[in-house]
Amino acid sequence: MRRGVVRKLTHGLAFRLAALVLPATGLVLVSIVAATYFLTREALLQNAETNAKNLAQALVNRIESVLAPIPRVVRGVAYDLEDEHLSDAGIRLRQRRVLADNDAIYGMAVAFEPHARHAEQIYFAPYIFRTPLGPKATNLGGPNYRYHGMDWYQIPRELDQTVWSEPYYDEGGGNSLMTTCSMPFHHLQNGKRMVEGVVTADVSLEWLTRLVAGTSVLDTGYAYLITRNGTYVTHPTPGVAFHETIFSRAEENGDTDLRRIGQDMIRGGSRFVPTTSLHTGKPGFLVYTPLPSTGWSLGVFYPRDELLAEVHRQALVSAGIGGGAFLALAVLVAFIARGITQPLRRLTIAAREVAGGNLEAPLPAPLGHDEVAELAFSFGNMQASLRDYIRDLTTATANRERMESELRIAHDIQMGILPKIFPPFPNRREIDLFARLTPAREVGGDFYDFFLIGPDHFCFLVGDVSGKGVPAAFYMAVAKTLIKAVAESTRSGADPGRILSRANDDLALDNDSCMFVTIFCGVLDMNTGEVRYACAGHNPPVLLRAGGAPALLPTRQEPVAGALEGVSYSTDTMSLAPGDWLLLYTDGVTEAMNPAQDLYGERRLLEQSAGFGDADAQSICDRLSEDVRVFAAGAEQSDDITLLAMRFRGPGANAG
Amino acid sequence: MEFTKNKEGVFLVLAVTGRLDAITARDFEEECKACIASGEKRLVVDLAGLEYISSAGLRSILAVAKLLKPLGGDLAFCDLAGIVAEVFAMSGFAKLLPVFATRQEALARA
Repeated sequence: MRRGVVRKLTHGLAFRLAALVLPATGLVLVSIVAATYFLTREALLQNAETNAKNLAQALVNRIESVLAPIPRVVRGVAYDLEDEHLSDAGIRLRQRRVLADNDAIYGMAVAFEPHARHAEQIYFAPYIFRTPLGPKATNLGGPNYRYHGMDWYQIPRELDQTVWSEPYYDEGGGNSLMTTCSMPFHHLQNGKRMVEGVVTADVSLEWLTRLVAGTSVLDTGYAYLITRNGTYVTHPTPGVAFHETIFSRAEENGDTDLRRIGQDMIRGGSRFVPTTSLHTGKPGFLVYTPLPSTGWSLGVFYPRDELLAEVHRQALVSAGIGGGAFLALAVLVAFIARGITQPLRRLTIAAREVAGGNLEAPLPAPLGHDEVAELAFSFGNMQASLRDYIRDLTTATANRERMESELRIAHDIQMGILPKIFPPFPNRREIDLFARLTPAREVGGDFYDFFLIGPDHFCFLVGDVSGKGVPAAFYMAVAKTLIKAVAESTRSGADPGRILSRANDDLALDNDSCMFVTIFCGVLDMNTGEVRYACAGHNPPVLLRAGGAPALLPTRQEPVAGALEGVSYSTDTMSLAPGDWLLLYTDGVTEAMNPAQDLYGERRLLEQSAGFGDADAQSICDRLSEDVRVFAAGAEQSDDITLLAMRFRGPGANAG
Repeated sequence: MEFTKNKEGVFLVLAVTGRLDAITARDFEEECKACIASGEKRLVVDLAGLEYISSAGLRSILAVAKLLKPLGGDLAFCDLAGIVAEVFAMSGFAKLLPVFATRQEALARA
């Protein structure tokens, strides 16, 4: 008997183990990677500020190493002019020497106030500049080049101090990108220092832009230079240098950060600030620091992503290692789980087979000494026990079946000794008789009997042995046989009292089991209708006179038979008129119970009997049996139910 | 089924409650045998609390009575009521064994 449904394993042990171990491990790994990432980033960002400042400072130092000496050179020439009263030729010589000594200086002019050197000349400004063929001397000034109004001349003159000009593209001078360091020189007139002219040194910015633009900062980072006005000297975006200031650019893009940065830069500030590059659009950090000699400011931009690229790389590497470890662990977990569940699965398959009824199914041999092996061992024991149990059960069942079969046979034999042919004496028309015994499930001890004693006397009786089962059946057989034997013997004289007295003595003899039997025994004289009867502790029969009401036949309530030796039973006499009924029964009728444990009772028996009137013996038994069955309403019948109905038809009824 | 024992002079009064049927008959028999084994020979069984008695119950009573007889003891009953009284009457047990209306009567014997 196999229950075909095999439960599908949706969440097996392996799954549950993995579901438990892997998320926890994954969480730990992710935490480690994340922690490493954030800590490294923090450290790197801190380093980045230092490195960026160092780089900017190094760049400033390189630029300063070129630019810083230039004002000193210019001042030297100015002092010479003030103190040495150089001739024109001396000025030119001095200029040549400056150029020869200072590679960074592209050209040098000594420009005088109008008429200051030569009264007839408005412009006197000897100028020397480098050409590919060597230094070339010329004079600046003329109607097309009115230098007195130019910035490089006018601003230092008015401020009376050294001034670096904004970068310019000098077309009249050296034909290249320039800035000029200008310083006024003086003479005393009436004891007052008066400006006599301005000494300038032109510095080509080609190298500077190359230096700054060539400074590589990571991949897309860059450096730029602004003047003290904010004008870009170099910038990676084409067209910005010299054409835009940091402020115009800030204005154009609505970038207030940039404006604030620009203001700080031209004030000479030095900082490391987070910002977003207008050039690349990337977020990052800007470090700026001033060039002390010119008052310009150098900015270096570090893109954040590139700065953090190393961090990302490290995070990726650790995530990769973590992921690899995680996968390895997953494989390991699956492997371990499989190792655990494989024997379990094999055991399950075997168990299913055993459950299906195959007790000989081979069990997988337990490996090792773990819990699974123990389970397999226990299961093996269970299988063996089950096998033994079923073998015992089979034997027991066979035994019980054999016993039941024997009991059935005993019951059949018991029933077999009861007369069952109706009408019993077809040629005796004086009586109509029918009897029925409805056995309870268990073998019981009810019986009935009837027989002729001589030609005129008809003996009928009903008995009920105490208890049930085989002992009762035996006792019943003995009692029935004994009574008939006694009744048929001539000594009894067809007297029921004497029949019961003798039967009692025989039954009580050596009756160690203390069984007894109740008997109602009657003898009908078929010629007269006279009934003599005796009762050994039995239920009183129902007497139904033709046309009258049913009543219980009065009995003497003498003791049950077989209980004690020497009991003497009395014989009573009554008379049946033609059409009168006698109904004998056992307590199986009156003590039949319904599910509410109510008894059928004598009252109901009498009420039912009232309706029988002219019915024949068989239908009386049928109707009473049916009424008892209906009353019981399905409650189990606990005792045999025996009915014996006898009607006296009258002596004349015998046609012979 | 429950039993209550009381020693009253020479008698041991055994009050029985419940049903005396095929299932409890053995209990009754064992209880009485135990009393006899402890030396009691004159038993008075008070059946006031007995609701029902079957033929198996009667058989157990008979067995106890037969056990007492050779010992010179006796088994008497009192306070029978309802169906128990009917069964005693119908089966003739009332004639086989001493039955008294009350406990006092049962104990008043010499």
